[in-house]
Amino acid sequence: MVLTLAAREWRAGLLTPLAWVLLAASQAVLGWTFLQVLERYAGLEAAKRTVGLTLELSLNLWGFAAALTLLAAPLLAARMFAGEREQGSASLLGAAPVSILELVAGKYLGLTGLLTLVCLLPPLLGLTLVGATELDPGLLAAATLGLWLSTLLFAAVGLFASTLSAQPGVALVVAYAILLGFSVVGEAGRLFEPASTLFDWLSWNGHLLWFLIGAVRLSDIAYFLLFSVLFLALTHRGLANRRLR
Amino acid sequence: MSSLLEVTGITRCYGGTPALSEVSLSLERGGVLGLLGPNGAGKTTCLQILSGNLAPSAGRIEVCGIDLERHPIKAKRHLGYLPERPPLYPEMRVDEYLTLCARLHRVPARQVSSAVSRVKARCGLQEVGRRLLAKLSRGYRQRVGLAQAIVHEPDLVILDEPTEGLDPEQIREVRLLIRELAAHCGVILSSHILPEVQAVCTQVLILRSGRAVHQGPLAPQRELHRSGVFRVRLERPAPQEALLGLPAVASVLAAEDGTLRIDLAPGQPPSALARALVEGGWGLRELTAERTDLERIYFETLGLALEGPDAETQGAGHQGGAVAAPGVPPGAAPGAASRSSAGGAPWS
Repeated sequence: MVLTLAAREWRAGLLTPLAWVLLAASQAVLGWTFLQVLERYAGLEAAKRTVGLTLELSLNLWGFAAALTLLAAPLLAARMFAGEREQGSASLLGAAPVSILELVAGKYLGLTGLLTLVCLLPPLLGLTLVGATELDPGLLAAATLGLWLSTLLFAAVGLFASTLSAQPGVALVVAYAILLGFSVVGEAGRLFEPASTLFDWLSWNGHLLWFLIGAVRLSDIAYFLLFSVLFLALTHRGLANRRLR
Repeated sequence: MSSLLEVTGITRCYGGTPALSEVSLSLERGGVLGLLGPNGAGKTTCLQILSGNLAPSAGRIEVCGIDLERHPIKAKRHLGYLPERPPLYPEMRVDEYLTLCARLHRVPARQVSSAVSRVKARCGLQEVGRRLLAKLSRGYRQRVGLAQAIVHEPDLVILDEPTEGLDPEQIREVRLLIRELAAHCGVILSSHILPEVQAVCTQVLILRSGRAVHQGPLAPQRELHRSGVFRVRLERPAPQEALLGLPAVASVLAAEDGTLRIDLAPGQPPSALARALVEGGWGLRELTAERTDLERIYFETLGLALEGPDAETQGAGHQGGAVAAPGVPPGAAPGAASRSSAGGAPWS
């Protein structure tokens, strides 16, 4: 059942222009960033190169890809539940013998499947350098894992926001608000003396940075998985409550 | 053996305001329940609760003996639901959509293809299998919505305004389909069209402000006209006393359009009235069944006048005054003559 629901989301995503537009725009922006990094790196004298090309690519290209998936996830997620309610198809799922858990899992799998395509764009761009220069595959794999884990979190937040309204536009704004909060919460720690590490820990960018520099830490993996599961649980709760409202 | 559907005291509140209060009903296999009521009476809320889309604030629903709240997955396997607005995915093709619906309703993988073919044939969708749902006409969308509700051959089919947006031919086909469905499962349908409910339902539940104000069986269509009111047009004026003297006539009313509203005496068939009018030599030009039992029940229950534009907009097709006869509700127009109170009526 989960796969049936995920496959429908996949098909729906690939049959509508939104996913293709997002993919095309992401590819264009990432391609441009990729070329900028290469040009800047190639223009430096060897003595001025403080970090290797792999790290340059990881920090800039993979980091920028994370920002793109942060923007793309709520756009794709908004139609998952809010869109279904708006177009009236939610009652099909509501009357079908499908549990809320299966519903959330199916939608989430479909959504992350679509977003994984965006996550694959930086590694594909990196592959174009094979034979031309030596890259650190381990570092790029770590960066890709970090990018994908961040995307899982963004998708979970988008899915949760999608349960809060029958208007995809409202769901979109709520998702961006939550994600913005998660992005800047680290800065809030600076307001305290001494600076609170809790706020730093809550911010997703700090955790991603470790992956981008090639350090795969269990605490960072746990952070992304923990918050992804938390928002999926809230999604489940939101759907269960909707029957009661 | 338990009923197909057993609903006990379901209540639904929105922010403390009850939209549905203490509604109970029961449906057996082969039964067709018509859900009636004015706008805002709670019909759609009731159907959403029965389909599992909404949770009741109180009460219990059992489908084939399975509690819908405690075991929703098991209970929903026996349900098919067509909401007011067909739940379609516009970017899908008809075949894809029905295949998805079959899978969602847990039709075994090997039987999905045959189930889709069968339901397409039943709903007249063979020609549009490759068409996008977004490109279908309203009538076809409604048919696809109906097809998704029955693709898994449920025991209980819930239809919210199933003939909405259909042309007369399609309405006739849907009615036939509902009758066909009722041969082996139970059907609940809501409708604003009283003759439609009268035509296909075996029992009726009338809601008003969320409360069940009438519940009971309906006479089969073929028995409707054995007693009731008929509109009669004669070539020559007939004396009132002469008409009231006919054994088939209980009361007579002259309408403004020159016709007569004749209420049949209990137990008398319409053929007896026709025969008497012909034999009377008045020249029978028209004999049409007037309002049905259901219309009478509906307007009585809701406390509405049988005459006037309200009755017409509800599908009663009633254009003249009411008839004073036993069992006729209050609000009967002056001008009626009956066996017990004949005389003084301005008729013919």
